[in-house]
Amino acid sequence: MALINIATHEIHCKIVYYGIGYCGKTTNLQHVHRSIHPNARGDMLSIATETERTLFFDFLPLDLGTVHGFRTRFHLYTVPGQILYERTRLAVLNGADGIVFVADSQAEKFEENVQSIAELDMNMRRIGKDLMTFPLVMQWNKRDMPNVLPVPVLERYLNRRRVPSFEAVASDGRGVFATLRTISKNVMAQL
Amino acid sequence: MEQLTNLIISDRELASISAVLLKLMNDTNATSAMLLDKSGQVVAVQGTGTRRNATTLGALLAGVFSSSREVAKLLDEKDFRNIFQQGVQENIYTTMVEEQWLLVIIFDKLTHIGLVKVLSKKSSDELGRTLERVRSDTTRTKSSVLNLQFRSSVEDTIDLLFRD
Repeated sequence: MALINIATHEIHCKIVYYGIGYCGKTTNLQHVHRSIHPNARGDMLSIATETERTLFFDFLPLDLGTVHGFRTRFHLYTVPGQILYERTRLAVLNGADGIVFVADSQAEKFEENVQSIAELDMNMRRIGKDLMTFPLVMQWNKRDMPNVLPVPVLERYLNRRRVPSFEAVASDGRGVFATLRTISKNVMAQL
Repeated sequence: MEQLTNLIISDRELASISAVLLKLMNDTNATSAMLLDKSGQVVAVQGTGTRRNATTLGALLAGVFSSSREVAKLLDEKDFRNIFQQGVQENIYTTMVEEQWLLVIIFDKLTHIGLVKVLSKKSSDELGRTLERVRSDTTRTKSSVLNLQFRSSVEDTIDLLFRD
């Protein structure tokens, strides 16, 4: 839920990166953190296990600066992807204004992706939102891997709503900003 | 319950929120008081200690609170409405305002938790009334802020900043 603070002239929006474990959600945020102008970002916060798996969430605040007198901020979050953290994902989703679903394009991850998007749909209903009308962007990540599924297959089974989607290799930054630009604009359009 | 798309805080309401936070801080001798949205956004802060880290604190405290509510559900408990985090020097008490905001009080060992609990309940009721006014005002004010010109400029800024 976006917060528009007229008194302090600030707008805050929350974008959540959702998807299965090791699909590249944290890598997306790390690339943004590395590449964006330091004035436009705060520190990245990661609550991870000793083995660097996301335990609770990653958090990266971005600052667009002042636009027409309003300072606009996007707060990027990731959810933990591992199956056992389902309730944690629900907690992080609370108050989101937009979602990026990061799918691992590898064939052996297909079923997990399908389950994850079904879980996202259910979690959105739990917090009183409808995924069919909510700002959503799909990212087909890991396109550099040898065993990826063709994009039309991913589109058919994971993107029934036909929302904007982007091929990506988050580890080298490909597709990361295209995804972020689109979800940011979608979120602003919904305000 | 369907969540609101956005909340708009006017000058008048922010002044009212800030006054409640300041009074609570002074009455309890706390070091800081914050009002967060449950999504983790900081609505208002009083006190010097937390200002620099307010954004990150907001994200973490809202995450902890949201997580504890999920724990409540698993225990078939209706809700956990308060959290008390106790440190050697600093303590944090977080309580829910209606179903939308979190009131956070940061205080040291010189302040008794009982006082914080009692006075934060009173402040929480006052903030609840402010929230009601904010909710009823949100739709009316939105169009004046988010006009076409603003939206177009934000899109241009997004294109400029979020690029390889």
